[in-house]
Amino acid sequence: MLEDNTKSRYDTFLEAYLSNEFRLVNSSLPRNRRRLSELLIEDQPSVLCADGSQQLFKRAELQYLERILDEEERRELLLPIIIEMSGDGTESVVLCSSNAELKVLSDVLEMELSYERPGRVRLYRPQLSVLRRRLRTTTQYAFSARVIA
Amino acid sequence: MAQILKVRPTKIELVKLKRRLKLSQRVQKIVKDRLSILTMEFLQAARDTVKAKQEAVDAVAAAYRAVTVASGYHGYVALQKELAASEADISVMAGPRSVAGVKIPSLELHEPAGGLRGYNLAQTSSLVDNASDAAREALRAIIELAELQRGLELLGMEINRTKRITNALEYIVIPNVQATIRFLQMKFEERDREEKARLKRVKVLLARQESS
Repeated sequence: MLEDNTKSRYDTFLEAYLSNEFRLVNSSLPRNRRRLSELLIEDQPSVLCADGSQQLFKRAELQYLERILDEEERRELLLPIIIEMSGDGTESVVLCSSNAELKVLSDVLEMELSYERPGRVRLYRPQLSVLRRRLRTTTQYAFSARVIA
Repeated sequence: MAQILKVRPTKIELVKLKRRLKLSQRVQKIVKDRLSILTMEFLQAARDTVKAKQEAVDAVAAAYRAVTVASGYHGYVALQKELAASEADISVMAGPRSVAGVKIPSLELHEPAGGLRGYNLAQTSSLVDNASDAAREALRAIIELAELQRGLELLGMEINRTKRITNALEYIVIPNVQATIRFLQMKFEERDREEKARLKRVKVLLARQESS
């Protein structure tokens, strides 16, 4: 019945490995989000990620955002836009630091959106797919173990 | 079938196992979430790749057609001489982008400001301009396709890896830990029952001694 398995090294390895999975999925989150107005004037617009790597933003995406936002909103919009995934994976929440994010989402999805709670917009899977298709480099996933209330 | 892990039957081990179960279940939730995102991105990338491939084929065909027409008008040798000076290195902006922890290359054709063509506009016709535009368009389509195809490969590999982790957690790690927890709990209950029976027996013996 009892099998000669596990203990000590196996246990340590498993726990380290499982903990690393958490780190891995969120390794590409930015250390500091950057303003669209700053990124537009850079030659190679990029942001520093949590794991120390650089994430490049596509100029075409930045130009699209520039077109739909006014001067004030370009200064307000922080990139990348963070999409927080829920526990069951069917819904997600976009974290909005200003109304500029809401305007971008409304424009990409071609529908009026509103805040579910201050600073949070709920999106469903098909909407997420559309958003990611349009804004590949300027959006980023964040994984959270807690289920969105 | 779940196997019972070899652990010492102590309360501390039970606490440790419960902690490990909790961690495994949290990770399983995250990994499953990640797998569904990766699958969504993979399907999206597959659709985009098919579209980009068709666009690249069309763009290259259009570029060849435009060059053929231009060389027919100017003559092959004259066109080659005119275009010899316009050769320039391609500048592609490359960097990684991350999709749920997978590093995917991001490529973008860098076009210099001003957009000088490098050949004499006065001595060439608009057919050369068309050919130049079509070639640039073909280049852009090829770069887009390269990015998407590499992304597709990397996402596919990561989906395989994540599936293995999900299956290992779902069918091996979590059931084994749960079975061991059940086994330890039953063992502790059995110990309690034995303890109670022993106490009862001692009580009866003491009562007998007192009465005799």
